[in-house]
Amino acid sequence: MDCREYISEYLAGHADGELAPLARRGADEHVSGCPICRAQLIEARALKAMVRQGAAIVKTPADLKSRIRGALDEADRRAAAPWTARLAELFAPFRAAASRVREPLIWAPAGLAAVIAIAILAAIAVPRRGLIATPPPVPEFELAISRFQQFQHDFVPNVPAEAYENQTGAVYAWVINRDPVHRVTDEADSDAFNDLARSYRSANLPDDLFDFAQAGYTITGGRVDQLPDGQPIAYTLYEGAAGEIVSLCFYDPTMAAPIGALNWLGLRSFYEYKGYSICLSFYPTGHFISILITRMPVTQLMRDVAFADPSGISR
Amino acid sequence: MLCSSFLHMARKSGTAADRRLAFEREALPHLDAVYSAALRLARNPDDANDLTQETILRAYRFFDQFSPGTNCRAWLLTILYNSFRNAWRRGEREQPASTSEEFAGEIEAQSRDADQSRINPEALLLSRTAGRRIELALNALPAEFREALIFVDVQELNYQEVAIVLDVPLGTVKSRVSRGRALMRKALCRLDQARGKTGT
Repeated sequence: MDCREYISEYLAGHADGELAPLARRGADEHVSGCPICRAQLIEARALKAMVRQGAAIVKTPADLKSRIRGALDEADRRAAAPWTARLAELFAPFRAAASRVREPLIWAPAGLAAVIAIAILAAIAVPRRGLIATPPPVPEFELAISRFQQFQHDFVPNVPAEAYENQTGAVYAWVINRDPVHRVTDEADSDAFNDLARSYRSANLPDDLFDFAQAGYTITGGRVDQLPDGQPIAYTLYEGAAGEIVSLCFYDPTMAAPIGALNWLGLRSFYEYKGYSICLSFYPTGHFISILITRMPVTQLMRDVAFADPSGISR
Repeated sequence: MLCSSFLHMARKSGTAADRRLAFEREALPHLDAVYSAALRLARNPDDANDLTQETILRAYRFFDQFSPGTNCRAWLLTILYNSFRNAWRRGEREQPASTSEEFAGEIEAQSRDADQSRINPEALLLSRTAGRRIELALNALPAEFREALIFVDVQELNYQEVAIVLDVPLGTVKSRVSRGRALMRKALCRLDQARGKTGT
Protein backbone atom coordinates (compact mmCIF):
# COMPACT_ATOMS: atom_id res chain seq x y z
CA MET A 1 0.00 0.00 0.00
CA ASP A 2 1.46 3.39 -0.98
CA CYS A 3 0.47 6.83 0.32
CA ARG A 4 -1.71 7.66 -2.65
CA GLU A 5 -3.67 4.42 -2.31
CA TYR A 6 -3.99 4.85 1.46
CA ILE A 7 -5.38 8.37 1.21
CA SER A 8 -7.77 7.73 -1.65
CA GLU A 9 -9.00 4.29 -0.60
CA TYR A 10 -8.50 3.80 3.12
CA LEU A 11 -8.15 7.06 5.03
CA ALA A 12 -11.86 7.87 5.53
CA GLY A 13 -12.77 4.29 6.44
CA HIS A 14 -9.77 4.07 8.78
CA ALA A 15 -10.83 7.23 10.63
CA ASP A 16 -14.41 5.95 10.86
CA GLY A 17 -13.53 2.40 11.96
CA GLU A 18 -15.15 1.03 8.82
CA LEU A 19 -12.33 -1.11 7.43
CA ALA A 20 -12.58 -4.89 7.28
CA PRO A 21 -10.00 -6.68 9.50
CA LEU A 22 -7.56 -7.42 6.68
CA ALA A 23 -7.74 -3.89 5.26
CA ARG A 24 -7.46 -2.47 8.75
CA ARG A 25 -4.27 -4.43 9.36
CA GLY A 26 -2.77 -3.16 6.09
CA ALA A 27 -3.77 0.43 6.89
CA ASP A 28 -2.34 0.21 10.41
CA GLU A 29 0.93 -1.12 9.04
CA HIS A 30 1.13 1.69 6.50
CA VAL A 31 0.54 4.55 8.95
CA SER A 32 2.93 3.08 11.50
CA GLY A 33 5.72 3.47 8.95
CA CYS A 34 4.56 6.72 7.29
CA PRO A 35 4.49 9.94 9.34
CA ILE A 36 2.68 11.89 6.58
CA CYS A 37 -0.24 9.48 6.40
CA ARG A 38 -0.27 9.18 10.19
CA ALA A 39 -0.70 12.96 10.38
CA GLN A 40 -3.52 12.73 7.81
CA LEU A 41 -5.27 10.10 9.90
CA ILE A 42 -4.95 12.17 13.06
CA GLU A 43 -6.29 15.19 11.23
CA ALA A 44 -9.24 13.24 9.78
CA ARG A 45 -10.16 11.96 13.26
CA ALA A 46 -9.86 15.46 14.73
CA LEU A 47 -12.08 16.85 11.98
CA LYS A 48 -14.63 14.12 12.62
CA ALA A 49 -14.66 14.99 16.33
CA MET A 50 -14.98 18.71 15.53
CA VAL A 51 -17.96 18.11 13.26
CA ARG A 52 -19.60 15.91 15.88
CA GLN A 53 -19.16 18.60 18.54
CA GLY A 54 -19.82 21.60 16.34
CA ALA A 55 -22.96 20.25 14.71
CA ALA A 56 -24.17 18.34 17.75
CA ILE A 57 -27.63 16.87 18.28
CA VAL A 58 -29.95 19.64 19.45
CA LYS A 59 -33.07 19.43 21.58
CA THR A 60 -36.41 19.37 19.83
CA PRO A 61 -38.34 22.56 20.67
CA ALA A 62 -41.09 21.95 23.24
CA ASP A 63 -43.82 23.31 20.97
CA LEU A 64 -42.84 20.92 18.18
CA LYS A 65 -42.87 18.02 20.65
CA SER A 66 -46.39 18.86 21.75
CA ARG A 67 -47.47 19.34 18.12
CA ILE A 68 -46.16 15.86 17.30
CA ARG A 69 -47.87 14.30 20.32
CA GLY A 70 -51.12 15.95 19.27
CA ALA A 71 -50.74 14.61 15.73
CA LEU A 72 -50.08 11.09 17.06
CA ASP A 73 -53.18 11.34 19.27
CA GLU A 74 -55.18 12.43 16.26
CA ALA A 75 -53.85 9.48 14.23
CA ASP A 76 -54.88 7.12 17.06
CA ARG A 77 -58.30 8.70 17.27
CA ARG A 78 -58.88 8.29 13.55
CA ALA A 79 -57.66 4.70 13.56
CA ALA A 80 -59.91 3.82 16.51
CA ALA A 81 -63.06 5.35 15.04
CA PRO A 82 -65.47 2.76 13.58
CA TRP A 83 -66.15 3.05 9.87
CA THR A 84 -69.59 4.54 10.51
CA ALA A 85 -67.99 7.38 12.45
CA ARG A 86 -65.47 7.93 9.68
CA LEU A 87 -68.31 8.08 7.17
CA ALA A 88 -70.18 10.54 9.39
CA GLU A 89 -67.04 12.66 9.55
CA LEU A 90 -66.85 12.55 5.77
CA PHE A 91 -70.37 13.93 5.44
CA ALA A 92 -70.10 16.43 8.31
CA PRO A 93 -69.49 19.43 6.03
CA PHE A 94 -72.65 18.64 4.04
CA ARG A 95 -74.74 18.24 7.20
CA ALA A 96 -73.40 21.53 8.52
CA ALA A 97 -74.26 23.25 5.24
CA ALA A 98 -77.76 21.77 5.32
CA SER A 99 -78.36 22.95 8.88
CA ARG A 100 -77.15 26.44 7.97
CA VAL A 101 -79.74 26.58 5.21
CA ARG A 102 -82.55 25.48 7.55
CA GLU A 103 -81.81 27.82 10.44
CA PRO A 104 -82.25 31.40 9.20
CA LEU A 105 -85.88 31.54 8.08
CA ILE A 106 -85.46 35.22 7.41
CA TRP A 107 -83.57 34.33 4.22
CA ALA A 108 -86.40 32.17 2.86
CA PRO A 109 -87.98 34.87 0.60
CA ALA A 110 -84.57 35.84 -0.77
CA GLY A 111 -83.76 32.20 -1.43
CA LEU A 112 -87.06 31.68 -3.23
CA ALA A 113 -86.38 34.71 -5.41
CA ALA A 114 -82.91 33.44 -6.23
CA VAL A 115 -84.24 30.03 -7.24
CA ILE A 116 -86.82 31.64 -9.55
CA ALA A 117 -84.17 33.94 -11.06
CA ILE A 118 -81.82 31.03 -11.74
CA ALA A 119 -84.63 29.00 -13.30
CA ILE A 120 -85.53 31.91 -15.64
CA LEU A 121 -81.90 32.49 -16.60
CA ALA A 122 -81.38 28.78 -17.27
CA ALA A 123 -84.49 28.65 -19.45
CA ILE A 124 -83.27 31.66 -21.47
CA ALA A 125 -79.68 30.47 -21.76
CA VAL A 126 -80.37 26.87 -22.81
CA PRO A 127 -83.79 26.84 -24.40
CA ARG A 128 -82.99 23.99 -26.80
CA ARG A 129 -81.10 21.76 -24.41
CA GLY A 130 -83.52 21.87 -21.51
CA LEU A 131 -82.62 22.55 -17.89
CA ILE A 132 -79.09 21.76 -16.80
CA ALA A 133 -79.25 18.55 -14.81
CA THR A 134 -76.76 17.58 -12.13
CA PRO A 135 -74.60 14.80 -13.60
CA PRO A 136 -75.48 11.49 -11.98
CA PRO A 137 -72.92 10.14 -9.53
CA VAL A 138 -70.38 7.76 -11.01
CA PRO A 139 -70.19 4.69 -8.72
CA GLU A 140 -66.59 3.92 -9.70
CA PHE A 141 -65.53 7.47 -8.85
CA GLU A 142 -67.44 7.30 -5.57
CA LEU A 143 -65.56 4.12 -4.72
CA ALA A 144 -62.28 5.82 -5.59
CA ILE A 145 -63.09 8.80 -3.32
CA SER A 146 -64.04 6.59 -0.40
CA ARG A 147 -60.81 4.56 -0.76
CA PHE A 148 -58.73 7.74 -1.12
CA GLN A 149 -60.21 9.07 2.11
CA GLN A 150 -59.57 5.76 3.85
CA PHE A 151 -56.01 5.24 2.61
CA GLN A 152 -54.92 8.72 3.61
CA HIS A 153 -55.11 7.56 7.21
CA ASP A 154 -55.02 3.81 7.04
CA PHE A 155 -53.21 2.01 4.25
CA VAL A 156 -51.89 -1.47 4.99
CA PRO A 157 -50.04 -2.97 2.03
CA ASN A 158 -50.54 -6.71 1.64
CA VAL A 159 -48.44 -7.55 -1.46
CA PRO A 160 -45.72 -8.60 -1.05
CA ALA A 161 -44.12 -8.04 2.33
CA GLU A 162 -40.58 -8.32 1.02
CA ALA A 163 -41.19 -5.39 -1.26
CA TYR A 164 -41.39 -2.95 1.59
CA GLU A 165 -38.50 -3.66 3.86
CA ASN A 166 -35.09 -5.18 3.65
CA GLN A 167 -33.19 -7.12 6.28
CA THR A 168 -32.21 -4.01 8.19
CA GLY A 169 -35.77 -2.80 8.35
CA ALA A 170 -35.25 0.07 5.93
CA VAL A 171 -38.34 0.83 3.95
CA TYR A 172 -37.28 1.20 0.40
CA ALA A 173 -40.42 0.79 -1.61
CA TRP A 174 -40.80 4.56 -1.23
CA VAL A 175 -37.83 5.28 -3.40
CA ILE A 176 -38.69 3.06 -6.29
CA ASN A 177 -37.95 4.37 -9.70
CA ARG A 178 -37.10 2.85 -13.02
CA ASP A 179 -33.72 4.45 -13.30
CA PRO A 180 -31.22 1.55 -13.31
CA VAL A 181 -28.48 3.87 -12.07
CA HIS A 182 -30.38 4.68 -8.89
CA ARG A 183 -31.80 1.31 -8.06
CA VAL A 184 -33.16 1.00 -4.58
CA THR A 185 -30.96 -1.96 -3.83
CA ASP A 186 -27.90 -3.58 -5.20
CA GLU A 187 -29.68 -6.91 -5.44
CA ALA A 188 -31.08 -7.27 -8.92
CA ASP A 189 -33.87 -9.63 -7.89
CA SER A 190 -35.44 -7.44 -5.23
CA ASP A 191 -36.86 -4.69 -7.36
CA ALA A 192 -40.06 -3.86 -5.52
CA PHE A 193 -41.55 -2.30 -8.62
CA ASN A 194 -41.33 -5.70 -10.28
CA ASP A 195 -42.49 -7.45 -7.12
CA LEU A 196 -45.66 -5.39 -7.08
CA ALA A 197 -46.27 -5.88 -10.79
CA ARG A 198 -45.81 -9.63 -10.39
CA SER A 199 -48.23 -9.72 -7.48
CA TYR A 200 -50.90 -7.90 -9.43
CA ARG A 201 -50.46 -10.21 -12.40
CA SER A 202 -50.71 -13.26 -10.16
CA ALA A 203 -54.05 -11.88 -8.89
CA ASN A 204 -55.18 -11.78 -12.57
CA LEU A 205 -55.01 -8.01 -12.68
CA PRO A 206 -53.01 -5.74 -15.00
CA ASP A 207 -49.74 -4.50 -13.49
CA ASP A 208 -51.06 -0.98 -13.35
CA LEU A 209 -48.03 0.83 -11.92
CA PHE A 210 -46.92 4.36 -12.59
CA ASP A 211 -43.47 5.80 -12.07
CA PHE A 212 -44.29 9.13 -10.50
CA ALA A 213 -40.76 9.58 -9.19
CA GLN A 214 -40.14 12.59 -11.43
CA ALA A 215 -43.18 14.26 -9.90
CA GLY A 216 -41.85 13.61 -6.41
CA TYR A 217 -44.17 10.71 -5.66
CA THR A 218 -42.97 7.31 -4.57
CA ILE A 219 -44.77 4.03 -4.12
CA THR A 220 -45.83 3.34 -0.56
CA GLY A 221 -47.19 -0.06 -1.37
CA GLY A 222 -49.82 -2.18 -3.02
CA ARG A 223 -52.88 -4.00 -1.83
CA VAL A 224 -55.08 -6.62 -3.47
CA ASP A 225 -58.63 -7.01 -2.13
CA GLN A 226 -61.91 -8.39 -3.38
CA LEU A 227 -64.92 -6.38 -4.40
CA PRO A 228 -68.34 -7.53 -3.11
CA ASP A 229 -68.86 -9.52 -6.34
CA GLY A 230 -65.65 -11.47 -5.67
CA GLN A 231 -63.61 -9.77 -8.38
CA PRO A 232 -60.09 -8.74 -7.39
CA ILE A 233 -59.10 -5.09 -7.11
CA ALA A 234 -55.58 -3.69 -6.83
CA TYR A 235 -54.84 -0.52 -4.91
CA THR A 236 -51.52 1.27 -5.17
CA LEU A 237 -50.68 4.21 -2.95
CA TYR A 238 -48.22 6.81 -4.18
CA GLU A 239 -47.10 9.42 -1.69
CA GLY A 240 -45.26 12.67 -2.11
CA ALA A 241 -44.75 15.84 -0.19
CA ALA A 242 -47.82 17.33 -1.86
CA GLY A 243 -50.11 14.48 -0.87
CA GLU A 244 -51.22 11.12 -2.18
CA ILE A 245 -52.32 9.50 -5.41
CA VAL A 246 -54.35 6.32 -5.12
CA SER A 247 -54.66 3.94 -8.04
CA LEU A 248 -57.53 1.44 -8.31
CA CYS A 249 -57.54 -1.24 -10.99
CA PHE A 250 -60.35 -3.76 -11.43
CA TYR A 251 -62.56 -5.66 -13.88
CA ASP A 252 -65.54 -3.57 -14.96
CA PRO A 253 -67.07 -4.61 -18.31
CA THR A 254 -70.04 -2.26 -18.02
CA MET A 255 -68.35 1.05 -17.45
CA ALA A 256 -68.31 3.70 -20.15
CA ALA A 257 -66.48 7.01 -19.87
CA PRO A 258 -68.82 9.45 -18.05
CA ILE A 259 -69.65 12.71 -19.78
CA GLY A 260 -67.75 15.82 -18.73
CA ALA A 261 -64.15 14.74 -19.31
CA LEU A 262 -61.91 17.82 -19.20
CA ASN A 263 -59.30 16.28 -21.44
CA TRP A 264 -58.18 13.10 -23.12
CA LEU A 265 -54.77 11.53 -23.45
CA GLY A 266 -54.95 8.47 -25.67
CA LEU A 267 -57.28 6.04 -23.90
CA ARG A 268 -57.18 8.03 -20.69
CA SER A 269 -59.74 10.66 -19.74
CA PHE A 270 -59.38 13.26 -17.01
CA TYR A 271 -62.12 14.58 -14.73
CA GLU A 272 -62.65 16.96 -11.86
CA TYR A 273 -65.14 15.23 -9.63
CA LYS A 274 -66.26 16.47 -6.20
CA GLY A 275 -63.00 18.30 -5.59
CA TYR A 276 -60.77 15.44 -6.76
CA SER A 277 -58.75 15.02 -9.94
CA ILE A 278 -59.36 11.70 -11.62
CA CYS A 279 -57.71 9.88 -14.49
CA LEU A 280 -59.82 7.05 -15.94
CA SER A 281 -58.23 4.47 -18.24
CA PHE A 282 -59.64 1.54 -20.11
CA TYR A 283 -57.31 -1.31 -20.78
CA PRO A 284 -57.64 -2.41 -24.40
CA THR A 285 -58.11 -6.06 -23.45
CA GLY A 286 -59.86 -7.74 -20.58
CA HIS A 287 -62.42 -5.04 -19.62
CA PHE A 288 -60.22 -3.69 -16.87
CA ILE A 289 -60.37 -0.09 -15.79
CA SER A 290 -57.85 1.96 -13.91
CA ILE A 291 -58.64 5.02 -11.83
CA LEU A 292 -56.06 7.43 -10.48
CA ILE A 293 -57.39 9.82 -7.87
CA THR A 294 -55.65 12.70 -6.16
CA ARG A 295 -56.18 16.14 -4.68
CA MET A 296 -53.60 17.79 -6.92
CA PRO A 297 -54.78 19.91 -9.89
CA VAL A 298 -55.95 17.95 -12.91
CA THR A 299 -53.42 19.66 -15.20
CA GLN A 300 -50.63 18.44 -12.93
CA LEU A 301 -52.08 14.93 -12.94
CA MET A 302 -52.21 14.96 -16.75
CA ARG A 303 -48.60 16.02 -17.00
CA ASP A 304 -47.43 13.41 -14.50
CA VAL A 305 -49.43 10.62 -16.14
CA ALA A 306 -47.99 11.48 -19.56
CA PHE A 307 -44.48 11.03 -18.14
CA ALA A 308 -45.26 7.98 -16.06
CA ASP A 309 -47.48 5.99 -18.43
CA PRO A 310 -46.83 2.33 -17.58
CA SER A 311 -48.42 0.81 -20.64
CA GLY A 312 -48.13 3.39 -23.36
CA ILE A 313 -51.92 3.69 -23.65
CA SER A 314 -51.63 7.45 -23.25
CA ARG A 315 -49.75 7.62 -26.50
CA MET B 1 -33.95 -9.03 24.19
CA LEU B 2 -37.06 -9.38 26.32
CA CYS B 3 -37.86 -5.75 25.73
CA SER B 4 -37.32 -6.14 22.02
CA SER B 5 -39.64 -9.14 21.73
CA PHE B 6 -42.29 -7.38 23.84
CA LEU B 7 -42.14 -4.44 21.46
CA HIS B 8 -42.36 -6.74 18.48
CA MET B 9 -45.46 -8.47 19.86
CA ALA B 10 -47.03 -5.14 20.78
CA ARG B 11 -46.52 -3.83 17.29
CA LYS B 12 -47.73 -6.92 15.48
CA SER B 13 -50.68 -8.05 17.51
CA GLY B 14 -51.34 -5.68 20.39
CA THR B 15 -53.97 -3.04 20.89
CA ALA B 16 -53.63 0.48 19.58
CA ALA B 17 -52.42 1.51 23.05
CA ASP B 18 -49.69 -1.17 22.97
CA ARG B 19 -48.63 -0.03 19.54
CA ARG B 20 -48.42 3.57 20.68
CA LEU B 21 -46.45 2.54 23.74
CA ALA B 22 -44.02 0.51 21.61
CA PHE B 23 -43.56 3.44 19.25
CA GLU B 24 -42.94 5.84 22.12
CA ARG B 25 -40.34 3.51 23.62
CA GLU B 26 -38.56 2.61 20.44
CA ALA B 27 -38.84 5.56 18.07
CA LEU B 28 -39.48 8.72 20.10
CA PRO B 29 -36.14 8.58 21.98
CA HIS B 30 -34.62 9.42 18.58
CA LEU B 31 -36.74 12.54 18.13
CA ASP B 32 -33.85 14.91 18.87
CA ALA B 33 -31.66 13.08 16.34
CA VAL B 34 -34.39 13.35 13.71
CA TYR B 35 -34.97 17.02 14.46
CA SER B 36 -31.23 17.77 14.34
CA ALA B 37 -30.85 16.01 10.99
CA ALA B 38 -33.93 17.84 9.66
CA LEU B 39 -32.43 21.14 10.75
CA ARG B 40 -29.13 20.37 9.00
CA LEU B 41 -30.82 19.20 5.81
CA ALA B 42 -33.45 21.90 5.52
CA ARG B 43 -31.31 24.70 7.00
CA ASN B 44 -34.49 26.45 8.02
CA PRO B 45 -36.31 25.93 11.37
CA ASP B 46 -39.82 26.07 9.87
CA ASP B 47 -39.05 23.47 7.22
CA ALA B 48 -37.22 21.38 9.83
CA ASN B 49 -40.31 21.38 12.07
CA ASP B 50 -42.55 20.25 9.22
CA LEU B 51 -40.05 17.64 8.08
CA THR B 52 -39.71 16.24 11.61
CA GLN B 53 -43.44 16.02 12.17
CA GLU B 54 -44.01 14.41 8.76
CA THR B 55 -41.26 11.87 9.47
CA ILE B 56 -42.60 10.86 12.88
CA LEU B 57 -46.17 10.50 11.64
CA ARG B 58 -45.07 8.47 8.65
CA ALA B 59 -42.94 6.25 10.88
CA TYR B 60 -45.91 5.72 13.21
CA ARG B 61 -48.13 4.80 10.30
CA PHE B 62 -45.65 2.26 9.00
CA PHE B 63 -44.27 1.15 12.36
CA ASP B 64 -45.29 -2.44 11.62
CA GLN B 65 -42.58 -2.48 8.98
CA PHE B 66 -39.76 -1.67 11.38
CA SER B 67 -37.70 -4.75 12.29
CA PRO B 68 -36.98 -4.93 16.03
CA GLY B 69 -33.32 -5.24 16.87
CA THR B 70 -32.24 -3.08 13.92
CA ASN B 71 -31.18 0.54 14.19
CA CYS B 72 -34.36 2.54 14.70
CA ARG B 73 -32.51 5.82 14.30
CA ALA B 74 -31.30 4.74 10.85
CA TRP B 75 -34.84 3.68 9.93
CA LEU B 76 -36.25 7.06 10.99
CA LEU B 77 -33.50 8.91 9.13
CA THR B 78 -34.30 6.92 5.98
CA ILE B 79 -37.89 8.14 6.20
CA LEU B 80 -36.70 11.68 6.94
CA TYR B 81 -34.35 11.72 3.98
CA ASN B 82 -37.00 10.40 1.60
CA SER B 83 -39.42 13.09 2.73
CA PHE B 84 -36.74 15.75 2.38
CA ARG B 85 -35.73 14.57 -1.08
CA ASN B 86 -39.33 14.43 -2.29
CA ALA B 87 -39.94 17.98 -1.10
CA TRP B 88 -36.67 19.14 -2.64
CA ARG B 89 -37.58 17.56 -5.99
CA ARG B 90 -40.76 19.56 -5.99
CA GLY B 91 -38.74 22.71 -5.48
CA GLU B 92 -40.01 23.44 -2.00
CA ARG B 93 -36.54 23.57 -0.48
CA GLU B 94 -33.53 25.68 -1.19
CA GLN B 95 -31.20 24.14 -3.76
CA PRO B 96 -27.77 23.57 -2.27
CA ALA B 97 -24.45 24.41 -3.88
CA SER B 98 -23.28 21.66 -6.19
CA THR B 99 -20.28 22.78 -8.28
CA SER B 100 -16.88 23.85 -7.08
CA GLU B 101 -17.52 27.42 -8.26
CA GLU B 102 -20.76 27.50 -6.31
CA PHE B 103 -18.94 26.06 -3.32
CA ALA B 104 -16.30 28.82 -3.50
CA GLY B 105 -19.07 31.41 -3.81
CA GLU B 106 -20.92 29.93 -0.87
CA ILE B 107 -17.77 30.04 1.26
CA GLU B 108 -17.27 33.73 0.37
CA ALA B 109 -20.87 34.45 1.29
CA GLN B 110 -20.56 32.60 4.58
CA SER B 111 -17.37 34.55 5.35
CA ARG B 112 -19.14 37.84 4.63
CA ASP B 113 -22.02 36.80 6.88
CA ALA B 114 -19.52 35.99 9.60
CA ASP B 115 -17.96 39.45 9.17
CA GLN B 116 -21.36 41.14 9.31
CA SER B 117 -22.14 39.39 12.57
CA ARG B 118 -19.28 41.27 14.25
CA ILE B 119 -21.37 44.45 14.39
CA ASN B 120 -23.21 42.88 17.31
CA PRO B 121 -21.01 41.95 20.31
CA GLU B 122 -23.08 38.84 21.14
CA ALA B 123 -22.88 37.69 17.53
CA LEU B 124 -19.17 38.36 17.56
CA LEU B 125 -18.77 36.09 20.56
CA LEU B 126 -20.89 33.41 18.91
CA SER B 127 -18.97 33.56 15.65
CA ARG B 128 -15.76 32.85 17.49
CA THR B 129 -17.00 29.58 18.87
CA ALA B 130 -15.96 26.36 17.21
CA GLY B 131 -19.58 25.37 16.71
CA ARG B 132 -20.34 28.43 14.63
CA ARG B 133 -17.22 27.89 12.53
CA ILE B 134 -18.13 24.26 11.85
CA GLU B 135 -21.68 25.24 11.02
CA LEU B 136 -20.57 27.84 8.50
CA ALA B 137 -18.20 25.37 6.85
CA LEU B 138 -20.81 22.59 6.79
CA ASN B 139 -23.44 24.85 5.29
CA ALA B 140 -21.07 25.79 2.49
CA LEU B 141 -20.57 22.18 1.39
CA PRO B 142 -22.44 20.80 -1.61
CA ALA B 143 -25.46 18.91 -0.30
CA GLU B 144 -24.26 15.39 -1.07
CA PHE B 145 -21.08 15.83 0.97
CA ARG B 146 -22.80 17.69 3.79
CA GLU B 147 -25.38 14.92 4.08
CA ALA B 148 -22.71 12.21 4.19
CA LEU B 149 -20.86 13.99 7.01
CA ILE B 150 -24.06 14.68 8.94
CA PHE B 151 -25.07 11.02 8.88
CA VAL B 152 -21.59 9.59 9.58
CA ASP B 153 -20.08 12.13 11.98
CA VAL B 154 -23.09 13.66 13.72
CA GLN B 155 -25.67 10.87 13.61
CA GLU B 156 -22.99 8.20 13.98
CA LEU B 157 -24.46 5.78 11.45
CA ASN B 158 -22.16 3.26 9.81
CA TYR B 159 -21.48 3.39 6.08
CA GLN B 160 -23.94 0.59 5.32
CA GLU B 161 -26.73 2.42 7.15
CA VAL B 162 -25.88 5.68 5.40
CA ALA B 163 -25.97 3.88 2.04
CA ILE B 164 -29.55 2.81 2.83
CA VAL B 165 -30.58 6.25 4.09
CA LEU B 166 -29.18 8.03 1.03
CA ASP B 167 -30.09 5.22 -1.35
CA VAL B 168 -26.63 5.09 -2.87
CA PRO B 169 -24.03 2.30 -3.16
CA LEU B 170 -21.61 1.75 -0.29
CA GLY B 171 -18.65 2.95 -2.37
CA THR B 172 -20.41 6.25 -2.96
CA VAL B 173 -20.74 6.80 0.79
CA LYS B 174 -17.02 6.18 1.24
CA SER B 175 -16.05 8.63 -1.48
CA ARG B 176 -18.52 11.28 -0.28
CA VAL B 177 -17.18 11.09 3.28
CA SER B 178 -13.62 11.30 2.02
CA ARG B 179 -14.30 14.21 -0.33
CA GLY B 180 -16.57 15.89 2.23
CA ARG B 181 -13.77 15.96 4.81
CA ALA B 182 -11.33 17.38 2.25
CA LEU B 183 -13.84 20.14 1.42
CA MET B 184 -14.49 20.80 5.10
CA ARG B 185 -10.78 21.28 5.66
CA LYS B 186 -10.68 23.72 2.75
CA ALA B 187 -13.76 25.58 3.96
CA LEU B 188 -12.36 25.95 7.49
CA CYS B 189 -9.09 27.31 6.07
CA ARG B 190 -10.97 29.86 3.97
CA LEU B 191 -13.02 30.97 6.95
CA ASP B 192 -9.85 31.38 9.00
CA GLN B 193 -8.26 33.41 6.20
CA ALA B 194 -11.32 35.65 6.05
CA ARG B 195 -11.05 36.21 9.80
CA GLY B 196 -7.33 36.94 9.46
CA LYS B 197 -8.04 39.68 6.91
CA THR B 198 -10.35 41.49 9.34
CA GLY B 199 -7.95 41.05 12.21
CA THR B 200 -10.31 39.15 14.48
